[in-house]
Amino acid sequence: MTLSQQRRFTTPEPDETLEALAARACPDLDLELAIERIRGWNLHIFLMRRPRGLLLGGDVVFIEPPLV
Amino acid sequence: MSEAVVLAADIAAGHDGDAELVVTVRYENGVVGVVSLDADCAFDIMQSCGAASSADLVGRSWHEVLKGV
Amino acid sequence: MYDILIKNGLVIDGAGTKAVLSDVGIKDGKILAIGENLKDGGQQVLDAAGLVVSPGFIDPHTHFDVQLLWDGAAKPALEHGVTSIIPGNCSLSLAPLKAEDRKTLIGMFQQIEELPPAAFTDAFEWTWETFSDYRAAIEGDLSVNVAPLVGHSVIRLWVMGADAQQRAARPDEIEAMQDLLRDCLNAGAVGLSTSFVDVDENARPVPSRFAQFQELDALCAVLGEFGRMLQIVPEFYDTDITIARIDQLAELSLKHKIPTTLSPVFDNRQSPNNVPRTLARIEEQTARGARVWPQMQTRPIDISFSLLRPSLFFARLPSWVKILRLPVTERISALRDPATADKLVADVGEDGGERLMGRLIVRGGGEAPEHLVGRTLGDIAAERGEVPARALITLSLENDLEIAFLAANGGHDSTDRIGPMLANPLVHIGASDGGAHLTSFSTYGDTGYLFSEFVRKSGALTLEHAVQKITSEPAEIWGLKDRGMLKTGYAADVVIFDPSTIDRGIERPVFDMPGGGMRYVRDSIGVDTVLVNGQIAWAKGAYTNAQTGQICALA
Repeated sequence: MTLSQQRRFTTPEPDETLEALAARACPDLDLELAIERIRGWNLHIFLMRRPRGLLLGGDVVFIEPPLV
Repeated sequence: MSEAVVLAADIAAGHDGDAELVVTVRYENGVVGVVSLDADCAFDIMQSCGAASSADLVGRSWHEVLKGV
Repeated sequence: MYDILIKNGLVIDGAGTKAVLSDVGIKDGKILAIGENLKDGGQQVLDAAGLVVSPGFIDPHTHFDVQLLWDGAAKPALEHGVTSIIPGNCSLSLAPLKAEDRKTLIGMFQQIEELPPAAFTDAFEWTWETFSDYRAAIEGDLSVNVAPLVGHSVIRLWVMGADAQQRAARPDEIEAMQDLLRDCLNAGAVGLSTSFVDVDENARPVPSRFAQFQELDALCAVLGEFGRMLQIVPEFYDTDITIARIDQLAELSLKHKIPTTLSPVFDNRQSPNNVPRTLARIEEQTARGARVWPQMQTRPIDISFSLLRPSLFFARLPSWVKILRLPVTERISALRDPATADKLVADVGEDGGERLMGRLIVRGGGEAPEHLVGRTLGDIAAERGEVPARALITLSLENDLEIAFLAANGGHDSTDRIGPMLANPLVHIGASDGGAHLTSFSTYGDTGYLFSEFVRKSGALTLEHAVQKITSEPAEIWGLKDRGMLKTGYAADVVIFDPSTIDRGIERPVFDMPGGGMRYVRDSIGVDTVLVNGQIAWAKGAYTNAQTGQICALA
């Protein structure tokens, strides 16, 4: 069975920073905009229940906004 | 792409019995999605962007809401 | 002759087949015969006329790991008809655990289960480090059956020490975790639990959250050697994340040929597409052959708060938000200021808060005066000649803000929507969290609520289907051998209940935790008798001395 298309995500590499992840995930965007987009799409990582800015190996990091 | 905007902010019950804030966002691609925020997070956001209440978040740009956190 | 003969009951076998009037004969802990008018007689005969006789209920998501060390019945789960429990969820089990890591794990358990400190110092001796020794510590005194998960966080802690909450694991450490997991599975663990959500007492993510997917994949390879379960707690804030987790689980399930489960999944009127989208993805992955079981609880979620801590219950009211975000001493001073209090009352609207606050219920268990507990704020306010908003302020001040209010049915509360979800063959009824959130809300009685709300009231499930969903289905999903059905040769875990009254009681505080610690519980209603492995463990409102619970054998 073919799976329907879902929102694309990645997971952080060991010790990867937000900057590095944003550059990896959104290579076509200016870094500052890429960081802003990654943050805006991933509040569960950047705001919720953890030390701010801490990326975890188990995180699902969306690399695009919600799909239509 | 246009700017992401907050469309609504509603109070809901969280898994742990605390109230949570369910924020409805229209993203830059036009798609509407919801994110649930716990109390610490929601109050921090409100404070950082100068929103006096949850209703005060509605209509603000998502970028503006998140810039202080 | 049978040890126990249950006569004249309406037997529901748990397989979904129609109920029939029948007798059930039990011998040596097993079901020996089921049929009309069994002739052999019994040393003890139970007349079940007018009652249902069903398999014991299975609760697949609990946190009774600690409580089992002093209470082998996992009270009050057993009196609700729960005869088998699965503890060790959400990445946390009590073993394997080195002595030097106990303090670290206690912090995590206290955060998640809200157990009082005395539960870890006064109630039992730490006699174990390995999983098999923990098993030995609980095994002799069980009144319920237990199928324990082993927690990913403790496996990490054992291998990596403090680094478990700091970094990714090296290949040699992953290999050591695999060996340790293998030992636990050989000692009877039903699977592995992990969490993508939980934090410790310092708000630091629990160790499992620091694992790369490759680590989880390696551990699932070991689960695959045994065909055992992976349980996860997904981020329940966002449907897209839940779907991403479902896809990860499906990948692991297909690759390693293991069952997987995620809990909890909630329905909410603020995000009505959450469950439909989640189940649509589950359906797609199931069609590919993946085994991914979303767990859904039956009970609604209540919102609870006091003025001691800022609650989003007041998020729509600017003046309340401002005052409640003040430090506690300043907050109390502000609330005592008549002009400020007048403004707060005025800001809730012309009805004085009747609509927003009138139906709030004063909770017991804290500092609330006994005569107010269980009453609505509207009722109390009327008696005091105040509007509800004023009463909320004055009652809070009179009790140093240590008075809690409950807004019932704040979420997951639409019976019309949730009934069909629970009946869905892809949904695994569970996620009770029994033994956790002790001082926040009761996690007991979800099975009674299933029957009262979704069988009797809404008719979303037949009686037979509801029994199947909490007996044979979980037994099959989790691989519990010879349990979950009334069938010859199966374990005699049996519940005798009144189908016209079975329910959960009202939530009430009790102080039965070690050191007099408080928790909220619900009594059972309509459950007549509970048998565990052929012995009566609870009957007519009282526990017996039977300790016939076992560590579940696995298929």
